[in-house]
Amino acid sequence: MKKLLSLLLVFSLALTLFTACSTPASSGAGSGSAAASGNIKVGVLAPLTGTNAEFGKGFEVAMTMAMEEINAAGGINGRMLELVFQDSKGDAKESSDLCRQYVDNEEIVAILGDFTSTACMADAPIVKEAEMAILSPTASNPAFTEMNDCTFGIIGKQDADSRYYARYVLQEYAGVDNVGIIYIESDWGNAAVSNFVDEAQKIGLNIVETASYVQDEKDFSSIITKMKAANLDHIAIMDQGATSQIINQIRASGWDVSLSTNGPGTSQQLIDLCGENCEGLLLTTPFFFDPESEKEMAWRDEFTSRAGFAPTVHSVNAYDCALLIAEAIRQCGDDVSRKNVRDKLAAIEFSGGLTGQIQFDETGSLDRRYIICEIVDGEYVKRAGFDYPEQVAAGK
Amino acid sequence: MEYILNQLVNGICQGAIYAMMAIGYSVVVGVVGMVTFTHGEVIMIGAFASYYAFEMAGNHILLGLLFSFAAAWLMGACVYKICYERFFSAPRNISMLCTIGFSMVVKNLAQIVFGPNQKPMLNIVDNKIYSLGIVQISTIQIVVVITVIVSATVLSFFFNKTRWGIKLRAVSQDKTAAYMVGINVKRTAMVGNCVGCALAGVSGMLLSIYYQTLQATMGGSLGMKAFSSSVLGGLTDIRFSALGGLCLGIIENLGITFSSASFRDIFAFIFLILMLLIRPEGFASKKGARP
Repeated sequence: MKKLLSLLLVFSLALTLFTACSTPASSGAGSGSAAASGNIKVGVLAPLTGTNAEFGKGFEVAMTMAMEEINAAGGINGRMLELVFQDSKGDAKESSDLCRQYVDNEEIVAILGDFTSTACMADAPIVKEAEMAILSPTASNPAFTEMNDCTFGIIGKQDADSRYYARYVLQEYAGVDNVGIIYIESDWGNAAVSNFVDEAQKIGLNIVETASYVQDEKDFSSIITKMKAANLDHIAIMDQGATSQIINQIRASGWDVSLSTNGPGTSQQLIDLCGENCEGLLLTTPFFFDPESEKEMAWRDEFTSRAGFAPTVHSVNAYDCALLIAEAIRQCGDDVSRKNVRDKLAAIEFSGGLTGQIQFDETGSLDRRYIICEIVDGEYVKRAGFDYPEQVAAGK
Repeated sequence: MEYILNQLVNGICQGAIYAMMAIGYSVVVGVVGMVTFTHGEVIMIGAFASYYAFEMAGNHILLGLLFSFAAAWLMGACVYKICYERFFSAPRNISMLCTIGFSMVVKNLAQIVFGPNQKPMLNIVDNKIYSLGIVQISTIQIVVVITVIVSATVLSFFFNKTRWGIKLRAVSQDKTAAYMVGINVKRTAMVGNCVGCALAGVSGMLLSIYYQTLQATMGGSLGMKAFSSSVLGGLTDIRFSALGGLCLGIIENLGITFSSASFRDIFAFIFLILMLLIRPEGFASKKGARP
């Protein structure tokens, strides 16, 4: 009986192995024979699990929405767009392994993603070998798009973001004098801090204490005690995933210092995870859903019903990235090669998405403008618009 | 001075949670006689059990404790059935590999069932801040430390005064001898494993109350910390494992005081390595004792 059972088990295992291995091969053969008329495949790298899973899930939902729209409107030059999703877990090593798989798969013409700058920077040299474009909705470390001519990012450059944060959010809007910084030790975090510090020195904003931690840190009590010991009146938090935990632990230690962040954008999960603790939190975002715009509100509702949470700027950017890559492929006409897609992407002028005009500069990045939001009664409220820098300049 | 004292309080609180995990770990290793790498996942299951208990029945900490204890106990039974029961006479690495594999399965299943996102665990304890002279302590910290002390006391009573406790200690000391005096070794080992896992479950609840958040992937680094604390205490000695956890927590936090939180694990593991170089048997002083 036991022998029979174990035989059965071995057989079923072998079967799983066989089917698991054969699935991509068979689909590859199927579309290979109809290459000219088959689907156009674009690979997606997103952290579908792990600390940044909320954002990865947002990528998946938003990009799927874009793909369905494109295909419902007849596809790209008569061919259907097919996005292939893989979970990079927010890990650079995992991401580069998956990126290598995409590069080796001849059918993939371009890559969308990854979420973190660190992962994107690990992928950059790999895509360069194949002259294939990688377009990240969220990577904002300026070094990423400067790495080679295959790297593109649409969230804007970190140097602009952090400088705006220091000058306009903290000094002009909040009137902060002495600030402490808590940031994540990563490519994104280091770029954010160095630009922030540089700008702060220029404008005379006093940085009294900085403390960093590595990914997956859970206990921030010692950092918070460190901050308490410094004489400061505001804390700037620079991270996405752990921002909520830091805020909760600051409040749990009985400290009502004013807080701001420039990482998570208008993330619904932040409010869910912090509840009352994040009341009054200030943050910057390059995109905010305009209640006046029907298109934006309809998109937001559709996204929320599919994902189960409200979209952030990252999801909106992911949606635009999918539309953008489709437009670049469309412009290629019949010659849909990796290099051609990249060239068309570099020269694109596009305004069909949600985040406004997109046109890359010579590094493959673009300049974004920012607004200031505050959390009031558990919702994001716009405090200063895109023209705030002009207002400040006019006021002076 | 005030600053260092406050960091010390943070360290003690974190050390208390490590101690709780380490106690569970050393019970498992002591009674079953094999190391486990599913401890982190058991901690995570305990955290989620209490999370759903709080969701459904309100914020009663005793109820959460009961739920996490029970869920982790069941989990312990599964671990025993799958990873240990058949491998007692096999080489040790077989069951060790089995626990690694099982932990991966549980972690990934948890991501599918509970979802990959962080979940909030807010305001379980009505938090207040007390000032004792220059030191500030919060209610959450007091609750954590008290729960750990009470659990450790109950466990020590259970081990030293009850019939089951004596059986467990007998099995832990010598399986063959225990078998010869008529103890059902397999069943006792299973109960021991369940007790250890249940304690891990409770520490999972404490962790998520303390950090106000929980996630399916939270187990990984925690299991490592439990293992290290337990190694410091000589793997099987419960009191010294608890001391090891406490030391680890305090050293991490004092280390951060003088440098950056990015170096947290470096301090923990350098301390572990130094300790093992100086005293390979851990804090436990009995030389020639079982590993």
